[in-house]
Amino acid sequence: MFAPKAGDGDLPIAPAVGGAVQGNSMAKPVVIVVGADKGGVGKTTVSRTLLDYFSANNVPTRAFDTESPRGTLMRFHPDITEIVDMTTTSDQMKIFDTLNAASPSVTVIDVRAGLLSPALASLRDIGFLDAAKSGQITFAVFHILGPSIASLDEIAETANFMVGAKYFLVKNFINDTQFFQWDQATYNSYFHRIKDATELTIPKLNEMAYEQVEVSSVPFLKFVANKGKDDEAANYSFVLRGYVRHWLANVWSEFDRIKLTDLVGSGKPITRGGEK
Amino acid sequence: MPVTPVYIICSPRPLVGKTLVARLLSEFLLLKNGTVNSFDINLKEPSLLDYLPRTTETADVIDTYGKMQLMDRLIVDDGIAKVIDLGFHAFDEFFKMTGEIGFLKEAARRHVAPVILFVADLDRVSARAYPMLQQQIPANALITIDNEYVVRGELPAAMEVGRVLRISALPTFLKTYIDRLSFSFTGYLRNERDSSTELHQWIRRNYSNFRDLELSLLLLGS
Repeated sequence: MFAPKAGDGDLPIAPAVGGAVQGNSMAKPVVIVVGADKGGVGKTTVSRTLLDYFSANNVPTRAFDTESPRGTLMRFHPDITEIVDMTTTSDQMKIFDTLNAASPSVTVIDVRAGLLSPALASLRDIGFLDAAKSGQITFAVFHILGPSIASLDEIAETANFMVGAKYFLVKNFINDTQFFQWDQATYNSYFHRIKDATELTIPKLNEMAYEQVEVSSVPFLKFVANKGKDDEAANYSFVLRGYVRHWLANVWSEFDRIKLTDLVGSGKPITRGGEK
Repeated sequence: MPVTPVYIICSPRPLVGKTLVARLLSEFLLLKNGTVNSFDINLKEPSLLDYLPRTTETADVIDTYGKMQLMDRLIVDDGIAKVIDLGFHAFDEFFKMTGEIGFLKEAARRHVAPVILFVADLDRVSARAYPMLQQQIPANALITIDNEYVVRGELPAAMEVGRVLRISALPTFLKTYIDRLSFSFTGYLRNERDSSTELHQWIRRNYSNFRDLELSLLLLGS
């Protein structure tokens, strides 16, 4: 009947999902830590959106899931994810001694609840933070915040480790929280305390859509593309796929805003349907 | 191969004649195609379900489950025309949802043709709703229904720009007659031998308008 107008639901299509992609082998290693000391704030969800974003932008990526022995991230991205125990020296070596040797230039580490501060302390102790400070490694921390004062209290603690790192404060709207924006004094005391932190907003995803992706155990991108684990045709609800597509486009527009592809040295993000 | 049409009859206002249009269109499609799937999304108005219980089912867009039940069926290219009688209370939520999930784009991919029949009124709510639809819906899929019984006089200029389908007003006694739950437009055409009656001609005129609408769909789909 008609040609649809632009921007009314374009898929944020990825050219390759979970497959090997070519990147700039000369780029310096990039390590992105996604974490929080508080549980249930959406660390793994944000990690998953990052892996989908890099996949869509042809950035070779590997991931480590520190939820040992069972990994949630591993369930969604088994091809590129390895489960590690960051408290052990052998697994620390597995991650950090391979930064230059490994072919993917970007390493995403999904740090399990309660382990962010100890993990950062370990990175400091092994000289990793100094390497980041001297520019040998690009280091970014996505600190996922929940809607509680306890979660906000972590900011100051984590900030102590952030010299030389890109620090992103991620406001993850897992519910209808306002993150205390209705109380400017409280809000400012947390969010404006750290000078170089960049705020990032992850909007809320429709609950049923989220649960359907959970049940499917596939990356968000495959869900949107109506594909199963092995790229076979699936039969997900059109409505739920639409909600995920809309949400993912909004999350990625935040990643575009902070110039995440520049940070990892891959240039401009690929052109996608403009859905804001 | 012809597209599968999905007619969405809507207005942000109650009692403007949405269910009347939905009844007329459903009966026309049933007469012409032998089948139609009608959906009644009304909680607070006279209901299509009461008039056409055999071809109508209820639906809602209050929660995600209801939206799935409805939209996952509307997006199927099964060759069966769908008619949605969208109650005024569901207007905002429905179009917010269709915008978010990319209904129009996915419909075009799947050979499904949504046609939005906006029943005009002269109030401010309608005046605000129409530009919102214009933003989301391509011009050739947005049709204004000028129900003379509601809009007595000229349509607002903004609503005249696209295609307009006029429904003339019936005298009160005939309106009361067609409002009876047991009344069928097609049944009347079949049983009333005098084709010169006002109601006979009114039904035929509306059916002709719908046939023209279907033809334009066929042309665009070919």
